[in-house]
Amino acid sequence: MTPNIVSVEGLSIDYVVGAGRFRAVSDVSLEVPEGQVVGIVGETGCGKSTLAQAIPRLLPEPPATIGAGRILFGDIDLVKVPMWKMPMIRGTGISMIFQEPLNSLNPSFRIYDQLAEAIQIRRIRESGRVARPTHEQAGYDYTRAPMPETGEVLSKPFVPGGYTAKAARKAMTPYPALRGEVLEYLTLVRINDPETILDLYPHELSGGMRQRVMIAMALSEKPRLLIADEPTSALDVTIQAQVLTLMKELIDEVHTSILFISHDLGVIAETADQVGVMYAGKLVEFGPVADIFQNPRHPYTKALLRAAPTLYKSEGPLDTIAGSVPNLSRPPPGCRFHPRCPLARPVCKAEPAPALLQVEGAAGGHRSACHFATEVPNLP
Amino acid sequence: MAFEEAPQTSGDRAKGYLRSAGHSTRMFLRVMRANPLTFIGFIMVVAICAVAVIMLTAPHLLTPYGNNDPTTDYAAPPSWQHPMGTDSGGLDIYAEVLYAVPVDLFIAMAIAGVALLFGGALGLIAGFWDEPGTAGGWASVIILRITDIFLSFPSLILALAIAVSLGRGIWQLIVAILVTWWPYYVRLVRGEVLAIKHLPYVTAARAAGVANTRIVSRHIVRNVLEPVVVYFTLDIGTVLVTLSTIGFVGLGLNYPITPEWGSMISTYQGAGLITAYPWTVLGPGLAIFVTVLAFSLLGDGLRDILDPRSRRVLAGEGGGPSTSVAEKQEEAQDTAAEISPPEVAEGSEGGPAPVPSAAGGGSGS
Repeated sequence: MTPNIVSVEGLSIDYVVGAGRFRAVSDVSLEVPEGQVVGIVGETGCGKSTLAQAIPRLLPEPPATIGAGRILFGDIDLVKVPMWKMPMIRGTGISMIFQEPLNSLNPSFRIYDQLAEAIQIRRIRESGRVARPTHEQAGYDYTRAPMPETGEVLSKPFVPGGYTAKAARKAMTPYPALRGEVLEYLTLVRINDPETILDLYPHELSGGMRQRVMIAMALSEKPRLLIADEPTSALDVTIQAQVLTLMKELIDEVHTSILFISHDLGVIAETADQVGVMYAGKLVEFGPVADIFQNPRHPYTKALLRAAPTLYKSEGPLDTIAGSVPNLSRPPPGCRFHPRCPLARPVCKAEPAPALLQVEGAAGGHRSACHFATEVPNLP
Repeated sequence: MAFEEAPQTSGDRAKGYLRSAGHSTRMFLRVMRANPLTFIGFIMVVAICAVAVIMLTAPHLLTPYGNNDPTTDYAAPPSWQHPMGTDSGGLDIYAEVLYAVPVDLFIAMAIAGVALLFGGALGLIAGFWDEPGTAGGWASVIILRITDIFLSFPSLILALAIAVSLGRGIWQLIVAILVTWWPYYVRLVRGEVLAIKHLPYVTAARAAGVANTRIVSRHIVRNVLEPVVVYFTLDIGTVLVTLSTIGFVGLGLNYPITPEWGSMISTYQGAGLITAYPWTVLGPGLAIFVTVLAFSLLGDGLRDILDPRSRRVLAGEGGGPSTSVAEKQEEAQDTAAEISPPEVAEGSEGGPAPVPSAAGGGSGS
């Protein structure tokens, strides 16, 4: 059993807007094991991004408040860490890639400066000059995949040394001393002609290139956990495919755990080891990716898979799920999916949905929050 | 590519700095050529500053007369010897206007500069640390309410009242105007910070582990700078006008002893002098006009220069090589994608499950 990088336990997040208060994420528990890619999939407005941003505590609090639960990063409960200490964990501990590559780079700085800043942050932390509330970092798992040449930087284990004057001086080296390392990361994300890119401003790059730069920035900090919040959603289909291919290759090269958020089932199917399906702020199904996609055990997952466009279906209209995601300030009683569920029975309305439980007859670790999980395979 | 960077000598570093300095000079000149009005403003501002420096160090290069040094011509109209004429006391107006350049420029820049630094710093704090309930939130509330109190007075009247109570003198004048001047910078900077601090790149910087103080000092200040510097440049002109107004009502500097344009006009406009010797007010009036115009012209174009997006376009670099680099790369990657489409990669060995294609899932959310 590999240790968990992050385990979220019973996390609930409320938004207080005006007089109203609604629960965007309710009672979600999930683990990201070391070296694995965990995907979260769900419709728009089901709390995926809120969950992703809550883990490194990037949600603006207020209006968001963490109502209950723990976010364990190693042995630290991030919910209890005071806000001013969080920057020490972000970056080298938990890094993030965002949806909007257009605005996620500072428009006033050249690409070099932005990447160099990320590398400097890591170097300063490696040099031991600043206090870090994180536990001792373990080395990277070398057994998972063979090392390619470009990933040489990333294979170096991140073990913080003691303070030395030399290390501190090196960490603070200004322009252009970090140039080699910056170029190496730009090469890692397959940017052609990185020498030219260095001196350009973000607005001079295309969307795909900007997202590559963002990925390079996140990776250059060698994070223990990388949260990718719909990294391909804002890109057009061709660039989306390129970035996705890149991420898939990098997952093999970079030994970091990834929490991959997407509304796109195809993206999740190609990248993740384990998938969690979210609906209306709740995690309804969690398990190994192959089992979830071949043998879904929650009616919502089944309906989602049927609604996805595929190459195999050539006739007839696309399937849809009737109705829409409920208003989270007034969620339906009982199971939140019952108004749209083909399996719904009186008990679904009367009683809340069961906790995530291992489904009988499914693969190990395949858990579902449905009273009738065993009947789902019989659905059309 | 080597991981260890080559050892750097201080010579290398100096060379690098020199190269980048040369590059930015060329860029600056190109932008200036593309924007002639700004260029005129820039030349005028440089000339005015040069005059100020000359008048402080070697005034005889520009005028043969000393400050407050009467000639033997009384109330003479403009001539080659006295380009702006003389007043009834025999003072050469041209010489007095020149002696006033460093005084006026210093007062205007000191007021606008201190207001920018002080008000700007308060604005940054009030804008960035504004979560209610925290210490920063309280600080922000206090700063803003104090700002409101100062803004609720008519600023010119307040400045006049303070000028009266403090008496005459350069420092008294600076303090009097400054008291009414800083709140505008608090408001301006706070507004800009509020607009910027929730932009995705600030969140991205936070996600990268950048500490709050560094986010403010690096990411926010750099992006607030653009409108603020423009406002500052235009503001120097406004301060000059206010300064002259206070001088005009007779509360400014003691004219014949300390030359200052507003006080000059004030001295000469009284007792029917303005109709008898109109050139006495034309000289200082022209000086105020030219200086304000210079800073306004410069300020207008400064925005384009500070913004990297428009700077490259103005410099004629943006449309050319850089975009073509982006396009070239896009093309190269397009062809790469065609050769090995990611959709048919080995990732889907799962089998008959309805695994949708990666690219086909749609990009709208």
